[in-house]
Amino acid sequence: MAVIEYRDVHKAFDVPVLTGVDLTVASGETLSIVGPSGTGKSVLLKTTIALIVPDSGDVVIDGQSVVDADAEQLLEIRRKAGYVFQNAALFDSMNVHDNVSLGLSDAVIRSLGRAEVERRVAEALEDVNLDAALVMRKLPAELSGGMRKRVGLARAIVGRPQILLYDEPVTGLDPVNSAGVDRLISALAERMHVTSIVVTHDIEGAMTISDRIALLEGGKLRFIGTPEEFRHSQEPLVRAFVNREAAFAAAAARSEAGHEGMA
Amino acid sequence: MPTLDERVGDVLHAVHLDGLLRATGRVGDSVFSHAGDMALLSWRSASNTLRGNVALHDFIDQAFAMGVQSLPLVMVTAILSGIVTSQQGGYQFTGSIPLYILGSVVTSSVVLELGPVLTAVVVIGRVGARITAELGTMRVSEQIDALYSLGRDPVPVLAAPRILAGMLVMPALVAIANGVGVAAGMVSAQATVGLGAQSFLYGARLFWHSYDLLYSLMKALVFGFVIPVISVHMGLLTRGGAEGVGRSTTASVVFMIIAVLVSDALFPPLFLN
Repeated sequence: MAVIEYRDVHKAFDVPVLTGVDLTVASGETLSIVGPSGTGKSVLLKTTIALIVPDSGDVVIDGQSVVDADAEQLLEIRRKAGYVFQNAALFDSMNVHDNVSLGLSDAVIRSLGRAEVERRVAEALEDVNLDAALVMRKLPAELSGGMRKRVGLARAIVGRPQILLYDEPVTGLDPVNSAGVDRLISALAERMHVTSIVVTHDIEGAMTISDRIALLEGGKLRFIGTPEEFRHSQEPLVRAFVNREAAFAAAAARSEAGHEGMA
Repeated sequence: MPTLDERVGDVLHAVHLDGLLRATGRVGDSVFSHAGDMALLSWRSASNTLRGNVALHDFIDQAFAMGVQSLPLVMVTAILSGIVTSQQGGYQFTGSIPLYILGSVVTSSVVLELGPVLTAVVVIGRVGARITAELGTMRVSEQIDALYSLGRDPVPVLAAPRILAGMLVMPALVAIANGVGVAAGMVSAQATVGLGAQSFLYGARLFWHSYDLLYSLMKALVFGFVIPVISVHMGLLTRGGAEGVGRSTTASVVFMIIAVLVSDALFPPLFLN
């Protein structure tokens, strides 16, 4: 059953960015959106919960139009989704506990009480492989880039959403941390049965975590299929992406072999 | 029959006029658009405040930053303005007008004009610019989007506490600036033209109206509303990374100064006649 539907979504900022995107994401599915920089991947992701409103077309979440939603309905839609921002978008003046607890609504915080909120925050931090006792009272500035991303993810999942939206979750991370975040995305999708959309430049990561991969280019979807179909597609754009990734992996392997040889 | 030169002149005139009208239209459109957005921001802040959606600690944080932390600079500015007014008056009055009139001139100048306006300028530089830069940075680093994505409205969290704090703190700052400015003027009059405190106060009381203080505090209230509304609005509009934050902070300071001076100019015809 489709949980998220993009229907002929158009958006322009002086120049057209999205020029008619149609896409359906099924319940429990993990879909990765890849494509060149500036092609509208993040814009498309932001239209999902009306952080950016399409110029025309619609996004439908669980049968509810995002474009036609009133304030209450929009709040309801946003409560269903957790959004992980590219640079985590943590609030600098708040410690990790306060940042993560923002993912709970005021009504939930009032009903749970202070101790239960703290337990839920700690649980979310442990879910993203952070030592809650160690990081809970730290400010975002005291954390590494990888830890900040994990805190951003903890904030997105603490409200137990049905949908998780990731905007370039591994950008700026080293390969070890990237692989760790990819494993986390897969584990959360499995454990929480969430529907996930991941905007990424990391093709190899997308191959690992996705049920399907969509290629966005020039404001339109150029390809959508399983990772296997993506890998073997003869579509020139897809081939360019796969080959670039293969070339990068080969270069990385050569570099690693060189280092081992030197050692 | 017009000559070729005249026709070319007419065309150039038409093109120039057309461009001028278009530019005027764009500016007018932009001004009305900003004014409309700020009116909406003010309305939503007021309704959130009245419904009790503003956290007390957010308000206290802002009031502390605007009031207590601005106080030293406000006092220095008030002292200097009182001294300069007193010295210039003393220079002009000596030998021509009874010197006790200086008490009235210094008090009226400080209370009616210099106290509110110079305090507003200090608050624009110290607080207004900081608010725009802070919210602008939050905008470009997606923290505002994060608030929306978490189902939270930035108005009660970011705008309302700042506007409320501005409206409550600014009259207090102006009242202090008025007192300090007049006292500094009195001390300066004693030191420079030998006018004693009693004569200074006699002159000050001679033309004093209690309404003057109310007028001064009304100005403070308006400035305390205008400064945070513009700075929050400009911060939330910021686009385009660090450069965008710089651009919107500069524009915000310019708009705040213009708004303060224009509203200051509207006060005499509205409230002194």
